[in-house]
Amino acid sequence: MELEVKRDRLVLRVRANKWEWTIEPRYWRNPLVYVGLLVALPIVVYFVYPSLLATIINANLLAAIAIPLAWMTIGTGRVNFGPQFYIGAGGYAAALLSIHYGLHPVLTLIVAALVGLAFGFITSPLALIAGGLYYTLLTLLLPLVFLEITFIYTGLFKGDVGLAGVAPLVDTGRFSLNIFLVALLSLAMMLIYMFIIDKVLRSRYAVQMAAINDDEEVANSMGVNVNKVKIISFAIPAMMIAIIGWFYAHYYGTFAGITFLPLVFMLKILLVIMIGGRAQIYGCIIGGYFIAFLEMILIRTMGDISPVLFPVILLILLLALPEGLFGVYRKRHYREYLPTLHVRR
Amino acid sequence: MLGVIETTIVYTLLMGSLYLLVAVGFSLICGVLRIFHLGYAYIFVATIYLTWMFMDLLGWGLVPSIAAMAVIQAGLAVAIYKGLVSRYMKQEELIITGLLLVAIIIEQAALRWYPIQTGVYLETTVIPGMTQIGATTISNQLLFAATVGIVVTGLFVLFFLKTKTGLAVRAISYDLYSSRVMGIQVERLYIFVMILVLIPVMIATLAVAPVWAVDPTMGWGYMITAILVVVLGGLGNLKGTIIASYIIGFCHAFVSFVVAEPRFMTLSALVVVLIVLIVRPQGITKTESLW
Repeated sequence: MELEVKRDRLVLRVRANKWEWTIEPRYWRNPLVYVGLLVALPIVVYFVYPSLLATIINANLLAAIAIPLAWMTIGTGRVNFGPQFYIGAGGYAAALLSIHYGLHPVLTLIVAALVGLAFGFITSPLALIAGGLYYTLLTLLLPLVFLEITFIYTGLFKGDVGLAGVAPLVDTGRFSLNIFLVALLSLAMMLIYMFIIDKVLRSRYAVQMAAINDDEEVANSMGVNVNKVKIISFAIPAMMIAIIGWFYAHYYGTFAGITFLPLVFMLKILLVIMIGGRAQIYGCIIGGYFIAFLEMILIRTMGDISPVLFPVILLILLLALPEGLFGVYRKRHYREYLPTLHVRR
Repeated sequence: MLGVIETTIVYTLLMGSLYLLVAVGFSLICGVLRIFHLGYAYIFVATIYLTWMFMDLLGWGLVPSIAAMAVIQAGLAVAIYKGLVSRYMKQEELIITGLLLVAIIIEQAALRWYPIQTGVYLETTVIPGMTQIGATTISNQLLFAATVGIVVTGLFVLFFLKTKTGLAVRAISYDLYSSRVMGIQVERLYIFVMILVLIPVMIATLAVAPVWAVDPTMGWGYMITAILVVVLGGLGNLKGTIIASYIIGFCHAFVSFVVAEPRFMTLSALVVVLIVLIVRPQGITKTESLW
């Protein structure tokens, strides 16, 4: 038996047999390795440093919002600047039903998903009628108008105080165990999203989306049903994002539009996509964890200057990493899916 | 009823003229640079808080503080152009995110050093008192701001129509490639436009500062209005911006005085914009030119 350490791999020889194991993580092809690491993280943290669980939940949820948004971006050929609109729709639907009708989280999940889907379908014509910057501008305005509505109808939405008393997602009677289970649930949700969207982006619909992304007119002339692909790519991710709103409402036990609807929250999601890897769905996980942990570290170490430092660091990273964090560990150049926002250029 | 109509007309003109000041710079950036300046909101905040910083920290008077603020704002605009816009011209999503981050940095910095509860008051009142127009009583300062809005927009239009530099800027907005071929110094004009758009915003912010609320998050509200106006008018078209400003002004005045529900101001304007976009996706005017 002989074990040889080469520059990039370990080689194990036993008589005539030979096994090789690549050292560098970027060559690890089996996604189960990464899933295993993601599952192990909250388990280790639960026993070692439980206060980090909240950051892990935050990271998972940010990634879980960014992944469907990446699909929406790829499928519609436009960047939606108002994904938090659907978080608001799902979150308020779940919170209102839970508080006023005492519905179980499973039932509110169904309603939140349907509300998200309905809002997605209603707003999906935006992807058909508005292009480039117009689309960006209008999607940007939607959550801000929704926020205004929550302030107009304070009796219903409770304004900036928010709706309190939403049934918890998990209730074991032990706070730390609840948080641990919620962390696992958030991870499961993020991984399910990843699995579904990974399958979608490897299907023949992805080719159609790529065609739309490149040139809608050419895609249309090639026989792609542009409107159908766009509407599906808009409404289903909207529903998935609305489900995250449901998760937030039941996780915090309260839901306030002022937390999720302003531009600052949207910027965080956008940065998850951009710093993670420019609409690469695997990059969204890296981006989600990076941003959640960076924010937490800054808050804990820098005090009240952290809100200023946080965007400064992100701006530097945005400019320094043209292909995002995922690009640093990528082996080959991938196809650039994130559409540019050219209107007339 | 006559009083309500009168008030609606007065406020349509008043708000429309103010929105002109707020939106004309945004329209120019969209028209000339062809980018969506999501960091536009920072200009409003920087105008107030930089001026206040010079007055508070250095004890300067109002006029020198405004002058120093204008110099810093111009420097910041050049830095943003050189460091972000020109470097990543082909990657608009990166520019948009970067500009948003710049706006957030400035907002958070203002919040950090001058929190809302601190209170900032700039005595920029030019004409104190109130004026009675029919059944409507209006602050003289607002009337002054509205007049300045009309004058400044008129000067902008004259500048772009009657001067050589204006012609060159219009040429860029028509066709960037041909402009370069014809020997227009595009980079220099881009920087010029970045600085030029500061003027109406700074005037608007300083003019309304004594009358309307001032806080580090104020920029977003103004930027939303600018977005609505510019989308409705057609990205980058000054004629469209002028028409759209008064349409949005009318919309706000109508909801406030006829419907008597001022809470629905932004919502109603958005509905109008959406309806117009469905009928005319490019906005009210053609958007391939500045005028």
